[in-house]
Amino acid sequence: MAKSDDCVHILQGLLIFGNVVIGLCGIALTAECIYVVSNSDGPYPLLKATENRDIHAAAWIGIFVGLALFALSILGIIGVVRASRTLLLVYIILMLITFAFEMASCITAATHQDSLTPDLFLKQMLERYQKSDPNKNSDNEVTKTWDELMRQNHCCGVNGPSDWQDYMSAFRLTHSDADYPWPRMCCVLDAQGSPVNLDGCKLGVSGYYNSNGCYDAISGPVNAHTWGVAWFGFAILCWTFCVLLGTMFYWSGIEY
Amino acid sequence: MLPLLLLLLPTAHGIGKVSNKPALTQEKLEGVTTASTFVLDQPRCVFNNYSTAVIWLVVALDKDAYAFNNSAGPGTNETAFQRFPDPVHAYMTLNVTLNSYPCPKPAGDITVLRVGSETSCAQDETRPTCNGPLPGPGPYRVKFLALEGSVPVAETDWSAPITLRTAKSPNSIPTTSSGHSAGMIAITTILSILFAILLAGLVAMLVFWGSDSCGSSTFGKQESVSVRRYNTHHVYDQPAARL
Repeated sequence: MAKSDDCVHILQGLLIFGNVVIGLCGIALTAECIYVVSNSDGPYPLLKATENRDIHAAAWIGIFVGLALFALSILGIIGVVRASRTLLLVYIILMLITFAFEMASCITAATHQDSLTPDLFLKQMLERYQKSDPNKNSDNEVTKTWDELMRQNHCCGVNGPSDWQDYMSAFRLTHSDADYPWPRMCCVLDAQGSPVNLDGCKLGVSGYYNSNGCYDAISGPVNAHTWGVAWFGFAILCWTFCVLLGTMFYWSGIEY
Repeated sequence: MLPLLLLLLPTAHGIGKVSNKPALTQEKLEGVTTASTFVLDQPRCVFNNYSTAVIWLVVALDKDAYAFNNSAGPGTNETAFQRFPDPVHAYMTLNVTLNSYPCPKPAGDITVLRVGSETSCAQDETRPTCNGPLPGPGPYRVKFLALEGSVPVAETDWSAPITLRTAKSPNSIPTTSSGHSAGMIAITTILSILFAILLAGLVAMLVFWGSDSCGSSTFGKQESVSVRRYNTHHVYDQPAARL
């Protein structure tokens, strides 16, 4: 009997440890998702303009799942210590529901990340940048965001200044190709915001214009957010799977 | 910092053939050709013998190049930029004197000519020698012509055909998703399998409710074990003793 007692105690200890980790990870997940939801700087207006808010939905689900994981981990610890069949059954069922929600959040975040290709931003930029339609406010947002992006990151277009030459655009309709082969924001600007050498910029002399594309500057922060939500959630779910299996095994051995 | 020199020079002389073929610049510039402009190397050290001439650039469509008559005067209706390409088949522009093309070329300087850079006079009929933006993708041929007064004294060969860039419509950009990444597929498959296992475990738990799971010893609530008290004869005898 002593050996079985030891096994029981070890299993209880492991389950309690597993639940503590789940509780802490739940809090971390909540904190991270709150950060993603509230962090609306940088290229966020471009995402809003693509009308793809999946990462937002995934992050909101993540907040509530994190809180639920924390609460359920406490319930689980109590249930393991008191070896109560009812408590543990409630724990397992609620955990499965939380698992399902978190699964949805992870898959949504991963799918959203896949949809943010350079072509998506290229098409949006060509159609909306400098589109002089006074009715649509979102186009002004896109223009302002792109100007800020190109100024701060010293980049031009999505793949490079040749985007403006390879494709027709709303910008091209109002700005002639000879005067503006690419927008003025692609030029190296001085402290007052005017090009250092306008002719050099129009010719494309290196040193007077920004030759690299902005896609890295856009996708960097967005990918960081998405990876955080998707892969951290995945790691939590793998750990939760192990703890739940252990709990089910423990439950089936409790004397009723 | 590389100083830029954009030069416009006029002078010219008799029809001597100068061994130079104008070409797109070899410099590494992003805007060597755009949709309506292109960049040539300046004709440095080419017209050395014609120091009093005005050097013009003749631009023509590829198919009309060899029909150009050297005695056509610049700045007339026959060579006006605003009437190019129809009915004017070749226009003359960028007139400068040889002083603007000093020889030898200083090392490190970018010496180029941007054809098509003047947009202000593109519609102005009073400026027939305007260096206006080109009206289409071409192909175009150019040559330099040196005139003294109105007499052509030297010319270069026609350049190779120069084709400008054409812009595609943004609708040609594919926006349908190009498939799913490995990461997303991995997440979906693994999580679905884990969830399925957990559901199966839950079902197994509920189905076998009440029966011992195979092989494991039951571990009960040791803390709440109650010890049954057994009555001994000694206890029953006592009331009888009191009576």
